[in-house]
Amino acid sequence: MQDTLTALVAKAQTDLATLKSRPEFEAAKARLVGPNGELTALMKQMGTVPKEQRPAMGKLINETKTRLQELLDGALRTIEAGELQAQLGPAVDPTLPSPDAGPGTYHPLTLVREEMCRILRKVGFTVADGPEVETEYYCFDALNTPADHPARDAQDTFYFPETAHFGNVSKKTPGEKYLLRTHTSSVQIRTMLKGSPPIRIVSPGRTYRRDTTDATHSANFHQLECLYVDKNVTVRDLKALLDYIFASLLGKETKTRFRPHYFGYTEPSFEVDLSAKHLPKVKKEWIEIGGCGMVDPVVFAGVGYDPEVWSGYAFGMGLERLAMLLYGIDDIRYFYQNDLRFLKQFA
Amino acid sequence: MKISLNWLRDYVALDASTDEISRAITFLGFEVEQVIRTGAPLLSQVVVGEVLVRDKHPNADKLSVCQVDIGPAGGVKTIVCGAQNYQVGDRVPVALPGAVLPGNFVIKLSKIRGQSSDGMMCSAKELGVAEDASGLLILAGRPALGTPINDVLPASDTVFDIEITPNRPDCLSHLGIARELAAWFKLELVYPQEKFRGDIEGAPHPELLRGVSVLSPEDCPLYSAHIIKGVKIGPSPEWLQRRLSAVGLRPINNVVDVGNYVMLETGQPLHAFDARKLGGNQIIVRRATDGEKLVTLDGKERTLTSRMLVIADAEKPVVIAGIMGGENSGVSADTTDLVLECAIFKRQTIRWTSKRLSLTSDSCYRYERGVDPHSALEAAYRAVDLILETAGGTVVGPACQVGGDVPWKREIVVTHDYICEKLGFDIPAAEMSAALESLELNIVREEATESRGPAWTVAIPSWRDDLDRPIDLVEEVLRLHGTDKIPAAVVSSPGLIGDDDPVVLFNQRVTDYLVGHDFHECVNYTLRSAKEISTWVSQTAAVELALANPFVDDQSHLRPTLTMGLLESLKLNQSRGVAVSRLCETGRVFMERNGQNFECAAVGFIIADPVGERSWLKREPADFYTVKKHVAALAAAAGIDLGRQPLVPVSGPYYGWQEGQSAAAGEMAHGWTARFGLLSLAMAKSLGIEGKVYGGVFAILPERITAETTRRRYADFSLLPAALRDLALVVDAGVHADEVKKTLAKITRAAVGNAFTLESVETFDVYQGKGLPEGKKSLAFSLVFRSIDRTLTDDEVNAVFQKIQNEVTQSTTWQIRK
Repeated sequence: MQDTLTALVAKAQTDLATLKSRPEFEAAKARLVGPNGELTALMKQMGTVPKEQRPAMGKLINETKTRLQELLDGALRTIEAGELQAQLGPAVDPTLPSPDAGPGTYHPLTLVREEMCRILRKVGFTVADGPEVETEYYCFDALNTPADHPARDAQDTFYFPETAHFGNVSKKTPGEKYLLRTHTSSVQIRTMLKGSPPIRIVSPGRTYRRDTTDATHSANFHQLECLYVDKNVTVRDLKALLDYIFASLLGKETKTRFRPHYFGYTEPSFEVDLSAKHLPKVKKEWIEIGGCGMVDPVVFAGVGYDPEVWSGYAFGMGLERLAMLLYGIDDIRYFYQNDLRFLKQFA
Repeated sequence: MKISLNWLRDYVALDASTDEISRAITFLGFEVEQVIRTGAPLLSQVVVGEVLVRDKHPNADKLSVCQVDIGPAGGVKTIVCGAQNYQVGDRVPVALPGAVLPGNFVIKLSKIRGQSSDGMMCSAKELGVAEDASGLLILAGRPALGTPINDVLPASDTVFDIEITPNRPDCLSHLGIARELAAWFKLELVYPQEKFRGDIEGAPHPELLRGVSVLSPEDCPLYSAHIIKGVKIGPSPEWLQRRLSAVGLRPINNVVDVGNYVMLETGQPLHAFDARKLGGNQIIVRRATDGEKLVTLDGKERTLTSRMLVIADAEKPVVIAGIMGGENSGVSADTTDLVLECAIFKRQTIRWTSKRLSLTSDSCYRYERGVDPHSALEAAYRAVDLILETAGGTVVGPACQVGGDVPWKREIVVTHDYICEKLGFDIPAAEMSAALESLELNIVREEATESRGPAWTVAIPSWRDDLDRPIDLVEEVLRLHGTDKIPAAVVSSPGLIGDDDPVVLFNQRVTDYLVGHDFHECVNYTLRSAKEISTWVSQTAAVELALANPFVDDQSHLRPTLTMGLLESLKLNQSRGVAVSRLCETGRVFMERNGQNFECAAVGFIIADPVGERSWLKREPADFYTVKKHVAALAAAAGIDLGRQPLVPVSGPYYGWQEGQSAAAGEMAHGWTARFGLLSLAMAKSLGIEGKVYGGVFAILPERITAETTRRRYADFSLLPAALRDLALVVDAGVHADEVKKTLAKITRAAVGNAFTLESVETFDVYQGKGLPEGKKSLAFSLVFRSIDRTLTDDEVNAVFQKIQNEVTQSTTWQIRK
């Protein structure tokens, strides 16, 4: 009997090691420990064993049973591991590229615009928006640009026929012509008319000039303007803002300087230069980056703000120009061609 | 405007360096576009010499040994020379030992390849006169031997090319710029002193000019004419020619040159007539008659209109007022008697005429910007002086002046405190008043105030019409203080005042979404061509969206959709061999409805077959349902739930969508529209695009974009197991799945009642073909039931499911597919 049990374990060990699937396993399990299995058959022979040998034999049978269970568990684990393994394909080659598209990219003009907006939000500006189709009042009259001013020429500004009508662009007077805004300053006027001071907005957006397209000019381009209206706003505050903007954008070593200039809607007015030697492809010591000034009292009076009470500043710049400076891009047309080899460089 | 430094020095003793002067001009508010150096620098020990002998250098092929006679300056010298462009007998500049040429190049006695040389013959570049370094500067006119070279060459000058802002017409003159620089450098400004002061000695000569009449005084507030008899026309003296040449004007004759000179000096344009050519000896300032013609000095015939002002004689127009004279009345070589015009014309009239005729001139440029009527006569006197000096003659009567009698007086009261408050920093009162005075903004009264500084009453000179408010004086003070000295400060930032505009937030959300889904953001032009819009959008749009004055033909219309631009970008990449699939853009589009255009915020994207892109592993291509998902997400960003909107198939090629393969939702009447699906194969083909292109656009009125305003409320959900039933229905092939689903959901909800809930109904299979009748399709729906408080039993769910099937059989035309 003892030999039979030993042989049973040895045979089970060999057989179970060859099992590949669950059905094979179930069959083997039944053959060994099932109701009609070999171990069960041996246990049934216990009655024939002499009484004095029974305890020893019982112990032996229990050991055999435990041992067989261990072998079965082991076999099942192997089969389960095999089953999981079967779900896998061959090992991946981690060096192969993903066949999926991506990643997407933001346009460099968006990147520059968002960076400027982020810088300005930190000091209390909110981002405003306004129509690209404008009227003469919002684009010129309200900004102290008189009717005979060269900026209003049909030579420089895109106009719409007198029959054109834009359902959601409001006119100040019925006789006004529609046009494509030549600057985002019209948003300042709409914002001031709609709200009340204090006002602190940045208005980025698309603007249009009737101009030849070449490496530095484009028929449509983008501007970003800031307007701040409050009590006791000073020239020094304006300078502080510009110093802050460009130090944030280009690094602490960046300096700005003002040169007196002339704009109809600010007084005094300045052009803003940047110290730019550390920028790519820039050789000059100072480069012009935008225009600014203190909001002219005429503009305030036009929107119904008392110029004796309210003061403010405005600053505007071209986004393409800024992006060209930041990234060292030398042709404005690249922004509008959308060659992927260009777009992917700024992500 | 070109400004000569030598010329400026007539009025102000500038001894600052060119760089310092450039900087001063810049910080006074004028852009220096270019600094040009002309003429020769001061050169000692450089004299005129003549080449007597030219022999080949014994030890060098390219060198010559010359004998050069420098006359009284030292006789004949031996000079080794490498130039090739001269001959024996030429007179050339000779630099003698001790001379210092530009670049600190000191001339010494030297030996060149064993041959001693007593100096150097020079090229124009070596002398710093011009850029020509190709050979020796051969001196024309055989100047005397030994003459110091500076007596032969034009004197050195520095010319600043300055952009004058439109508010400062007074600076379109050397005197104007001199005045600014005198103020900056704290120097005295010396005005030219005219000898002629308007007094006429000779008797009246009505045979030269009987009189002036101004028929249109609103266009011509001042007209003066001086008659000069017995002039001799000839070349101007050299100093005058040199001045004009330095600033880019070609000398013509003494009278014309004086006119130009005085204009560049004072800013006042002048015009001289040949008195003989004035028909009827009259000057009449009048509007032209429509169709009247005049051949201007540039030889072109101009047709005039009645809005244009002319100077005419008794018979004909002779000058387009303020812009250009006629060929019929100008000064010529045989002119002996002059009429000198000095006038003021209305800016708007000049500007309109100039634009209309596409004709401009230095005179026109100044009149358009504004010429000071109150100093005009000074310029006339100055011109009379210079004509008498350079062309002779005498001033005779009658004296003719019409208008010019409105006196000038303007005063501005400003306080020291006001200026400091506007600046945000302090400048001492003494510095402020000195700055104002230096610009001839004379303080006529200074009064103490209750605050720190005084109040000033400032007299504004007539040429500073741009100053009429206290704020204007703030700028003047700051200009002279120096805008580079504005002290630094920190930005005071009192937190956000408002919210970003909804359009801004929308653009940001949709761009983030699309870039996050692997799209490349593009930026395309807003203006498109008429042909494209009439072909792919509509004839109406091609009319309504047109500009009045396009600049180029292919940019004549506002874009009604973003797809055109995106396809163009796709095409560009394909044609450059750059594999591209996903492109997107945000921006304004313009939609026409009932004869009105609406400016909309829009977002669009395309997914193209990645032509040219080869991959080791194939992916499922995008299809209609891919773009549907994206459009729904974009609409959601604007607060529109596309799932609750009726979708209609696109019919016709409107906006370039493929019929039967694309859908539309929304309409401009509701303030938004969406279109998505396959882009017209014909359109893609016409653009030369390879492969299929799917896409989507969503446009919405800016005012229609809603920010999330209502806070979402949490809804309880069941933690108990669900019961699932599938139901397949055979319906007409043309019926939309959503329609069936909605009805089925309604039937199901009615069958469930309040017993438990229908959690969802989803379409999970669509089948058409074998096993089904022609024209039918099978739609399979999965129904999920659940209860909040108990596990559902099979029996109760089966009972409901049976009820649903009964209802479907009874109330619909659908068949249940077993």
